[in-house]
Amino acid sequence: MLIKFQVIIGLLSFILLVGTFELIRKGRLREEYSILWLFTGGVTLLFSFWPQFFLSQFITRITGLFYLSAVVVIAFLFLLLIVLHFSVVVSKLTDRNKELAQRHALLELEFKELKRRTLPPDTVSP
Amino acid sequence: MESEPKTLVIIPAFNEEGSVGKVVEEVKNHLPQAEVLVVNDGSTDLTSEIANAKGAVVLNLPFNLGIGGAMQSGYKYAYEKGYDIAIQVDGDGQHDPGEIPKLLRVLEEEKADVAIGSRFIGDSQYKASVMRRLGSLILSKAISMIVGEKLTDPTSGFRAANRRAIQLFSANYPQDYPEPEAMVLLHQCGLVMKEVPVKINQRYSGESSITKIRSVYYMVKVLLAIFVDCFKKRPVLKIGG
Repeated sequence: MLIKFQVIIGLLSFILLVGTFELIRKGRLREEYSILWLFTGGVTLLFSFWPQFFLSQFITRITGLFYLSAVVVIAFLFLLLIVLHFSVVVSKLTDRNKELAQRHALLELEFKELKRRTLPPDTVSP
Repeated sequence: MESEPKTLVIIPAFNEEGSVGKVVEEVKNHLPQAEVLVVNDGSTDLTSEIANAKGAVVLNLPFNLGIGGAMQSGYKYAYEKGYDIAIQVDGDGQHDPGEIPKLLRVLEEEKADVAIGSRFIGDSQYKASVMRRLGSLILSKAISMIVGEKLTDPTSGFRAANRRAIQLFSANYPQDYPEPEAMVLLHQCGLVMKEVPVKINQRYSGESSITKIRSVYYMVKVLLAIFVDCFKKRPVLKIGG
């Protein structure tokens, strides 16, 4: 029974790792955002190799978790971290986006003013 | 002040083609010495063209940033062009530009950094629904408590700011609920604000952005935002500039 879970989880982690690597390689995922993903894949992959550690009396006693539920819980925690991280990233981008829009508008106004002042009136498009 | 202070009137407008022309005209009538800047917050109608035709300088944002982002753009313009005083007036015509001198007097005589036009002091004939009044009341009590002085109209967008406040706002302006949050920000940075009773016109066109049903929800969100603001790191205010 356990070996079946090990294989499934090992395969899933492997696919996640390879997928993340592929995305980085193709330049579709920036490294700074991929670290958590790689970490999640790595940790779950380790779980599938050494389930004994997570099945040890010690871990089971302090957490009350068995192998599969332990993997699910840990994967879920990582997902939470990733979502939080994305919220931070989106906030930062929103802020930068706002700054850019404002700068763009101010520059455009400045540019129009400059054009109006330096070019003869009939060459300025409305 | 030795010379006439350089004054800018900032009018944020989002799809206000029905009223912005009249507002610009009135401001120019009442304050011929001031420059008028209309911040067109990504309008899809003729707001920009009409304001331009009326002789206002128009700052066209490439897309809608919301009132906070639009106001901040205006303050950035004021800061970079070296204005001494910036006055914000809503583009929907609810503020009477004839009241602007009252705000300016407070800035000059009472040494305030920001003057805020209040609908609730004195005998203003402002009519609002019971829910809105209640929401406004609770909000103003909360802000008065935080700021430590009596403020009656935290959602008023009729304000005048001096150079110090312009500098602060150009670098830091709250985005979500800018009017009440700006009060908390001013307090945190040690700037002085004073309220002035002003008359309010009923809206020229368009509906209030805060409807009756949503006013309670709005109040709760603003209270939350202000609560969070109290724990934010205080922005560093450079001296001079």
